[in-house]
Amino acid sequence: MSDATTSTRRRSAVSGNDYGYANARIRGMRSRLFDRPFLDRLIEEPSVPRLVQDLTETEYGPDLEEVLIHGLDATNVDVALKNNMVRTFQKIMGFLNPEAAYLVTTLLGRWDIFNVKTILRAKHMHLSIDELKDGLLPAGQLTPVDLEALSSVDDVRTVVDTAATWGLPMAAALRDGHGEFMHTGELASLELALDRYYTEWAQERLSRRGANTRMAQKVLATQVDVANLVMVLRLQSADVEHIDIDQFFLEGGAVITRELYTALSRMSDIDEVLGRLRGTAYGRALDDVSMTYLEQNSISVFERALEDLFTRRTLGIAKGDPLGIGVAISYLWAKQNEITNLRIIVKGKSVGMPVDRVRKELILV
Amino acid sequence: MIKNRLAKWVFGSTFLVTMLLPAMAFAAEAEVVGEWQAYVAKAFAAGLAMGLSALAAGYAQAKIGSAGAGTLAERPEASVWIIVLQALPEIIVLLGFVASILIVNMPVTPA
Repeated sequence: MSDATTSTRRRSAVSGNDYGYANARIRGMRSRLFDRPFLDRLIEEPSVPRLVQDLTETEYGPDLEEVLIHGLDATNVDVALKNNMVRTFQKIMGFLNPEAAYLVTTLLGRWDIFNVKTILRAKHMHLSIDELKDGLLPAGQLTPVDLEALSSVDDVRTVVDTAATWGLPMAAALRDGHGEFMHTGELASLELALDRYYTEWAQERLSRRGANTRMAQKVLATQVDVANLVMVLRLQSADVEHIDIDQFFLEGGAVITRELYTALSRMSDIDEVLGRLRGTAYGRALDDVSMTYLEQNSISVFERALEDLFTRRTLGIAKGDPLGIGVAISYLWAKQNEITNLRIIVKGKSVGMPVDRVRKELILV
Repeated sequence: MIKNRLAKWVFGSTFLVTMLLPAMAFAAEAEVVGEWQAYVAKAFAAGLAMGLSALAAGYAQAKIGSAGAGTLAERPEASVWIIVLQALPEIIVLLGFVASILIVNMPVTPA
């Protein structure tokens, strides 16, 4: 196929830009997201069956009824919640205009990377398929059938080979990372190759002009910044000296440039990193949890703060542009957030976690 | 915020019709021109006032209609509001209609 033909097809594939129908519909769906009082009611339910009873009266009802014939336990509720999320994402992709579908597919590509990473980790740790299934979330382009087939292979090498046989776009990155993996026996190289592949692929797809593309670029850039910052903080916490930290840098961030990343990674401790980040878009979020970090001495405090900041920014992206892609992006993140919160509540309830602890674990209610 | 190129075009044209063409018709009458030129100018102005305001209303209704269909798909209880909103742009056509009648009924004074 000639370049001209490809270019024309690509242009026509992303030319639709009527957001009225999709955004109005998404706003209608958004009005059904749970508010704080409802989540409080769920948290205070005495048992999982009572909680499920409450959820059955909501839009999660059909998904719950579908899986609860296999038994009323936290695992099945978890499956129902994940099914609902996948079904909702697919429903939205079904009515978005071509431009919006193109942009959303690009941003949801991160779920494919997440799923492949989960499969690789599970294969590396020799987990069973059932254990692996719990961690998968087919919200990207890889279907549940694809993921099941990938999950059923024997080892990391077969996952890489299967991806190449299927002609997945990420296969080349997996092959590159696999060489290093064979040498070191550590998955970090494969995961890094996947992350790098995704950021490059997404940036290439988002290299067009237009207000909506810019908005999607902003989300991607924040995501890359957060990934780079988490990496810097993890490496600082691990206090590694013999590793070339720069190799973990992902291009395409908004604030964390390569120079800043290098400067941060060469700092002596986390206090210094926080001091350097003060005044940037991420400084305040990290400063706010620095005391908690001192109390818990766990880097996951910062990871959680950065993830929350990313989610909060993405949720707020719809403000000021009612006829753009922001409404869809914001809803997808809000839905994902709601499902995560519900899963936390169900898991917490099933293991008898105290109500206050469950409340603390919830993300951005 | 008007971002769409077509929306800008329709808005601009309607503005021109409603503001400039009646003024042209008045000018045509005030200037020393023949009687038939004044009639032609008035008919032209009235036609454009009616036609473009109808196009603008159609554009607005198309947008409201698609958004309304989206809302109804998820919230059928909002149907009354959707119908009200769908009917609102008709006012634009009515204003165009009134403007065109006023233009047509302006007396023509022979030079």
